Amino acid sequence: MSNVTKVLIANRGEIAVRIIRACRELGIETVAVYSEADRNAMHVRNADRAYFIGPAPSRDSYLRIDKMLEVAKKSGADAIHPGYGFLAEREEFAQACADEGITFIGPKPSSIAAMGDKAVARATVTKAGVPIVPGTEGEGDLSDDEIIAIAPQIGFPLLIKATAGGGGKGMREVHSPDELLQALASARREAESAFGDGNVYLEKLMTGARHIEIQIMADTHGNVIHLGERECSIQRRHQKVLEESPSPFVNDDNDLRRRMGEVACRASSAVGYINAGTIEFLVDKEKNFFFLEMNTRLQVEHPVTELVTGVDIVKEQIRIARGRKLSREQDQIEMNGWAIECRVNAEDPYNNFMPSTGLVTASILPTGPGVRVDTGVYSGYTIPRYYDSLISKVICWGETRGEALLRMRRALEEYKIVGVKTNIPLHQNLLDSHRFLAGQFDTRFLEERFEMDRQSTPHPEIAAILATLVAHRRGQEAAQIVQRGARDTSNWKWVGRYERMHR
Amino acid sequence: MKYLTTLNDKTYLIEINDDRHVAVDGKTYEIDLEAVADQPLYSLLIDNQSFEGFVENDDEGWRVLMRGDLYQARVVDERAVRLAKSAGGTVAQTGDFQLKAPMPGLVVSVPVSEGQAVKKGDIIVILESMKMQNELKSPRDGTVARVKVKGGDTVEQNQIMITVSGG
Repeated sequence: MSNVTKVLIANRGEIAVRIIRACRELGIETVAVYSEADRNAMHVRNADRAYFIGPAPSRDSYLRIDKMLEVAKKSGADAIHPGYGFLAEREEFAQACADEGITFIGPKPSSIAAMGDKAVARATVTKAGVPIVPGTEGEGDLSDDEIIAIAPQIGFPLLIKATAGGGGKGMREVHSPDELLQALASARREAESAFGDGNVYLEKLMTGARHIEIQIMADTHGNVIHLGERECSIQRRHQKVLEESPSPFVNDDNDLRRRMGEVACRASSAVGYINAGTIEFLVDKEKNFFFLEMNTRLQVEHPVTELVTGVDIVKEQIRIARGRKLSREQDQIEMNGWAIECRVNAEDPYNNFMPSTGLVTASILPTGPGVRVDTGVYSGYTIPRYYDSLISKVICWGETRGEALLRMRRALEEYKIVGVKTNIPLHQNLLDSHRFLAGQFDTRFLEERFEMDRQSTPHPEIAAILATLVAHRRGQEAAQIVQRGARDTSNWKWVGRYERMHR
Repeated sequence: MKYLTTLNDKTYLIEINDDRHVAVDGKTYEIDLEAVADQPLYSLLIDNQSFEGFVENDDEGWRVLMRGDLYQARVVDERAVRLAKSAGGTVAQTGDFQLKAPMPGLVVSVPVSEGQAVKKGDIIVILESMKMQNELKSPRDGTVARVKVKGGDTVEQNQIMITVSGG
């Protein structure tokens, strides 16, 4: 049994606040760390102790393993929660904690390493009988001739991906064999210039596929359970924007959910996984599902699972880290109702999603039945330019998907953030989209088949009146309005003017 | 005051005479406008219907963000439209520009004199009308050729007050 009495949160923003909340409820002391840009951040204010760790850029502060360990020692923290991002999926950080005798609230370093390397991860889960997206990765570097020979076995359409890849660089879609050679050349060229490595591999292109992931929890006693799925197909530039649980695609297909859950548990057991983790799948139209990758950490979108299962995932993570058994067994997990999460980002949806930083002059949060907001932003807080643009997560629960959607619409209308631009209008438009409401969407929906500019704007006259009233008011305030009789200057001047007028 | 507000290719004539009423194309509504917490976020009650929206302006005009919809509006003072019309619509960059009185009024002052160089946007006449002083500006760079009015003069609508020659 490990002692967890004082937790250092090696993170910032809403997730640091979220973890502090869990610790508070468990009576555990909290230690925050902050950079030069974050003295006024919510997590610093909410924690029991807070330590300065360096300049604003992450590499000088939130990514410094040595600083984290130094603060842990100084503050007497016996455990570290990494949150997501920053050091969460760095094997050497988990290892360094273990070396110092500090409990890392997360998986073992070896599990992080195994899932971090794409080729190793695919090979490992394949061995455990988990289906993967068909492709040539793991076969080493192939020549153009070899690729042309293998391509028909994978089948068209397919995707050329850079081995060293990321961010869509060196990625090409190929729909027929005669396009292959040209696409190969341009993908290699792009990969070479982006990563200094022109090696590519092939992967089957799944059209109309959805991104659905399974939350798993595993304890040190060999118990592994799953908490159902999350639908994450609504993405922009590979960034999730809106998530829900259950997935409208899986919905009442309990058999599919059970099979995906079992495969997810098997994949995590294959790397000896402990603590909370997520297995991402691509699911095609025929409900075939393929392993994509495993996220060896707490996910941004974990609250939707919390709302439908009733499990507090962060508290459960701490429970596991303390060496105790999972609080529930698989047959005690039931998905109740529907939950939706909207990620509210500081970006302008009307100006190509340009990031928006600066002072938040007002923040009026939505409240009321079935609404949860996880945020680190408050009125008077300045959003720094050094970190991600996530302002908050609005999570709504309803008995049905319909109720959850309507509740989210209501909540977003209540939510007012002034000072920075946000993508709330994007969510509001999405929640009016018939295809989205009907659950008919895949991973390309948001970018390819969704438009922000709606044809019908329902209150043009009201908007015209509002604009005019405000323009009028500003005009009155700005112009030096001098009413006759309300003299703006000395009486002597007025006498002078009067006399000149009557000469 | 009257405004011409254009939104979605439709122009509304909006008249604001007091704080409580607004007339849109002749139809009068009872209104109440409050800024929320001193922010560019406004609560509008219009005939007891409640709306809330963000309102801001930029070079393009006014942007109203309301219930997840963005509206772009252009708001012009009706008198400014008349001024533009009386000045012959769009003003050419060369030739003489004659500043005509956009409305009857009292010349408060003429801050320029003949022969003086002026820049576009410089105030050349301050005209008092409808209980308000209006700053009339030069529409372009040039030289003041003739000044036909002086402070204290009463002018009729369309009376030529100042001539600015180009170049």
